[in-house]
Amino acid sequence: MPADTIPILDVSIWFIAKIFVIFAILLYVVFALVVVRQVQLMTDTLEVGFETEVRLLSFVHLLFALAVLIFAFLIL
Amino acid sequence: MPDIFVNEKPSEVPEKKEEIFKKPETKDEVEKLPGHSHNPLSAFCFYPDGIDFETRRKEEKIVLLMRKHIVTNASWIIIGVIMILAPVVLSKFPILEFLPARFQFVAILGWYLITTAFILEGFLDWFFNVYIVTNQRVVDIDFYNLIYKEVSDAKIDKVQDVTYRMGGVIRTIFDYGDVFIQTAAEVPNFEFLAVPRPNVVTKILEDLITNGEKGLRVKIK
Repeated sequence: MPADTIPILDVSIWFIAKIFVIFAILLYVVFALVVVRQVQLMTDTLEVGFETEVRLLSFVHLLFALAVLIFAFLIL
Repeated sequence: MPDIFVNEKPSEVPEKKEEIFKKPETKDEVEKLPGHSHNPLSAFCFYPDGIDFETRRKEEKIVLLMRKHIVTNASWIIIGVIMILAPVVLSKFPILEFLPARFQFVAILGWYLITTAFILEGFLDWFFNVYIVTNQRVVDIDFYNLIYKEVSDAKIDKVQDVTYRMGGVIRTIFDYGDVFIQTAAEVPNFEFLAVPRPNVVTKILEDLITNGEKGLRVKIK
């Protein structure tokens, strides 16, 4: 039996770690979605002529989080 | 008889532009106002153009839009830069060596996600925390964190007292401070924290309280 395997479950410790990491990134994606929504609400509350850029910033943040999630899913 | 002393002809002194104190009426006068800006990231804008907020009434005119002084952003910018550089510096030390290479890579990506959130939160916190003075009301839009906001306002005629506080080296150098407004409205206190030119803000508020927008007297270059 390899050293990094949990004896009772016979599962690799890195597989468990992968599940935890992906779950954490998933939570982060939810947070990024909340940021996008909050930015939308705030730009409706206040218009100063910089709304497009701020919204774009929040979308880029969400896309970055999604990219990391997919990447982690593929390589781990 | 020779002259002992001949007074030199006075050199021509350029005429000083006359300073007028009045309420800006025309667009041209508004453009010349000190503090008038078209920059959406400006921390102090007098009679701003193209700015609107959710609860503004049709006849309401924005006199002043303020944010915290740009210098107050220094802390999160410096921390953000340190966070960006941290993985490069820490790569010299074997902190993540116990992890397989693929986990190390994802850990670094995760770190940059957190860094992005930190920088974004710092910027949005500054950008959306605005203080607005209109010809009718004082409005405070607070963006406490990424999931909580608060908008409070009080009519100008309910404002009872305006004071400002400025102290410390940095605040004196960059000319910013706190303006405290006491009102008889539902929200008893408004605090405009770390706003640029607190003395000008106080004067504008006092003019508005005393005589309404007609009583506003500002220096036009």
